[in-house]
Amino acid sequence: MRAALAATTLLLALTALAACGATPQTTLEPTTEAARQARDLMVFVFWAAAVVFVIVESALVYILIRFRRRPGDGLPAQTHGHTALEIAWTIPPTILIGVIAALTIPVIFANAQPAGADAMRVRAIGHQWWFEFDYPELGVVTANELHLPVDRSVELQLESDDVLHSFWVPRLRGKLDMVPGRVNRFTIRPEVTGTFQGQCAEFCGTAHALMKFTVVVETQAEFDAWAAAQLAERTPPSSELARAGEEAMAAGGCVACHAIRGTDAAGVLGPDLTHVASRAHIASGILANTPDNMRRWLQDPQGVKPGNLMTIPELTDDQLDALTAYMQGLT
Amino acid sequence: MATVTTTAPDTRTFAGTAWSWITTVDHKRIAVLYLVTALGFFALGGIEALLMRLQLARPDTDLVSAERFTELFTMHGTTMVFLALMPLSAAFFNLLVPLMIGARDVAFPRLNALSYWIYLFGGIFMNISFLAGGAPNAGWFGYAPLTATQFEATHAIDFWALGLQILGVSSILASINFIVTIINMRAPGMTLNRMPMFVWMSLITAFLIIFAFPAITIGLVLLLFDRYLSTSFFLPAGGGDPVLWQHLFWVFGHPEVYILILPAMGIVSDILPTAARKPLFGYPVVAYSGAAIALVGFGVWTHHMFTVGLGPIADTAFAISTMAIAVPTGVKIFNWMATLYGGSISIKTPLLFAVGMVAMFIIGGLSGVMLGSPPIDAQVQDTYFVVAHLHYVLFGGTVLGLFGGIYYWFPKFTGRLMHEGWGKVHWALMLIGFNLTFLPQHLLGIDGMPRRVHTYPADQGFELWNLLSTIGSFAIAASLLIFAVNALVSIRRGQPSGNDPWDGGTLEWTIPSPPPVYNFAQIPVVDGRYPAWDAKRGGGHTGAVAAATAHGDEDEDEPDIHMPNPSYWPIVLAAGMVIMACGLIFHQVFILLGAVLFGVSLLGWIEEPAA
Repeated sequence: MRAALAATTLLLALTALAACGATPQTTLEPTTEAARQARDLMVFVFWAAAVVFVIVESALVYILIRFRRRPGDGLPAQTHGHTALEIAWTIPPTILIGVIAALTIPVIFANAQPAGADAMRVRAIGHQWWFEFDYPELGVVTANELHLPVDRSVELQLESDDVLHSFWVPRLRGKLDMVPGRVNRFTIRPEVTGTFQGQCAEFCGTAHALMKFTVVVETQAEFDAWAAAQLAERTPPSSELARAGEEAMAAGGCVACHAIRGTDAAGVLGPDLTHVASRAHIASGILANTPDNMRRWLQDPQGVKPGNLMTIPELTDDQLDALTAYMQGLT
Repeated sequence: MATVTTTAPDTRTFAGTAWSWITTVDHKRIAVLYLVTALGFFALGGIEALLMRLQLARPDTDLVSAERFTELFTMHGTTMVFLALMPLSAAFFNLLVPLMIGARDVAFPRLNALSYWIYLFGGIFMNISFLAGGAPNAGWFGYAPLTATQFEATHAIDFWALGLQILGVSSILASINFIVTIINMRAPGMTLNRMPMFVWMSLITAFLIIFAFPAITIGLVLLLFDRYLSTSFFLPAGGGDPVLWQHLFWVFGHPEVYILILPAMGIVSDILPTAARKPLFGYPVVAYSGAAIALVGFGVWTHHMFTVGLGPIADTAFAISTMAIAVPTGVKIFNWMATLYGGSISIKTPLLFAVGMVAMFIIGGLSGVMLGSPPIDAQVQDTYFVVAHLHYVLFGGTVLGLFGGIYYWFPKFTGRLMHEGWGKVHWALMLIGFNLTFLPQHLLGIDGMPRRVHTYPADQGFELWNLLSTIGSFAIAASLLIFAVNALVSIRRGQPSGNDPWDGGTLEWTIPSPPPVYNFAQIPVVDGRYPAWDAKRGGGHTGAVAAATAHGDEDEDEPDIHMPNPSYWPIVLAAGMVIMACGLIFHQVFILLGAVLFGVSLLGWIEEPAA
């Protein structure tokens, strides 16, 4: 029991520590109203629980020490119960539970408020094992990197193409599942610019651990510029090597799953690659988008991300160089 | 000596001994079978856990492949719930219920054997999958549509679904048996409100099982239809709904949590009074709060689904019911503390485990209240916070409680005490290891580490807590090795315990250790909750209990005690069932083979002479 008490102290210290360490997915540093409300509730219930914990566990330890058997103990008084006491001690837990419920319920309903008419709509579609983001009002389709303007409500429409996934960016909002055959909606109103890390939170098969994404919150001007760039067709290859890459892509069957606007590639099974070089990560948030990583990914996708559904023939060094150069040029 | 009429096999040879175990219908021997098998599966599930902890000890580790990792967490959960903890509770039901209510066996001894054999074969069947092309890999909760043939074309899911169906039959049969036993076979004077609290919790658990299992049974039938007959109950493409599976699973799955915890609560409710030499404080409240927990437990299942998007009304309703269940749970804890208060507490291993259970279960209950608030849940659902919470309930609660029970009743069934010093070492190491394993996992969840991930990168702030957690898990493993050696040595060389080493108050302490095959030479007459105390303390109550103890062994005039004959039909019938299930995986001919065996053994069972 003493261990348990020490452990609680440790827990508190560690929670404080965790809050200032490098924990990009922490729930304790919210940047939106919804995430703040969840954090405040969590902190309140934690302290309430901590008080209960300390009282009850100390009482338990006290009783064990105070009433331990000593030599010469006679038979203790045989009490069978005490009705008034038993009724009385149902009251504090009931009150505490009532308070927690009273604080919780308004937040549940606030979180369920539909977005206003001025909100931007974005479809987020879960796939094994990547995220597709579709801005129907803008005509932009991208993958694994969600761009949002700051201080504007966004209604996310969560869907799934295959199995269950869950959309979770802890610093922006609690998670909501992506359920095949259903559409879940929730609203995010980012208040701070920056990059926020998210991850699929519902087990969705072998590569579940490697299904990540980022949310880039930027000023309206930056966002507009980004959207305009995304709408453009692909940047034509600028070197011989990159041109060879574009041909290798068509010849190798990549176009069956991937789309690159401005070419014949119009596949829909994998991420749209028209502006793949504009994204900070590849393979759904698990690798920085560098030439080396791109080459590694194209060479051995199963080694980088076991279970993923990309089928790719074995490539020669020349083909790898060409494809990497081509991808890096798709800004 | 009372004459016992059974056609017992010759136990002087190995074959005879084996045959006697295979055909036994004695509740005490079936309990031993349950106990040994369940501890074996507990070790297997523990090894699966250790492999996962090794893989997660450091970031970006390649010790276990992503594919294998999904099998490990699926089988760890499935094994611990269905093959280790439930059967451990079943071992205690078998050991104790007849002894505690003053009966000579359960109501249906052959059905009891059948429950065990179905469980054993079902457990083996499910684990054969590791050798037959891949183990189940969609999680112990098997969320649709990941379980559809489209996403898992091998038989991994079929092993899981068929295995759970088989185990469900075992659990339901055992529950019917214990309900009938407890309702009908109590000794004269043993009213419901005089039953030991463990018997109360057994009764409630049995009712929970027969009401909760049908939900998962239906779910699994629909899943098997989807997989074998191309229906689409859970597939949106065919008009089905994956969320339906979640409802069916958790309508079963949440009561299942109480199925796992109530027996341990019963054990604790019987250990504490003995250790403190005081009756259980507020007995009726403890019993009825168990019933209340069970009842409300059927109305909280969508708190597992707060992130599914059921809407604010459903989330509010289930948040309230979930929080409400904390009240009867808290009341139980207060009653346990009041039982100890003012007592003369003997601090021996069973008491330490019982108190450890109370202390750790409080933490699981408090984190449960946190999870009951949907906005908090939306952040920490499907993270390591939930892993921590559920282990504080099922390990801190159930496992510690069950180990307390093992230390407490070990002398009753072996005639020897387990070594006290090593028992305390086991307790201390297990408690430290347990907290080291699971306390940091709360922080991992709050820091955003999802569950069911086979790896994590180095820059997330997850390293330290994962490393501590892995170290803790090996401390738990070490404590279990100490327990295993202690148990094996104590069976042969432990200090002889006599019949009543703890000064117990319930009926099992009035008979010899180990108990004779007929338990009670003379059925006792009961007129209080602690008949053994009454007899020992001469509290003016009946002398019948004392008579049974004093004269049972040498009463020449004792009439013959008729005990049920051994039977081999239970094991054959169970084999027939499991062979039929094999037919759906290996070759259709097994269906026919199994059905014939099933039919023949059913006839054999019916025609078997009762005398």
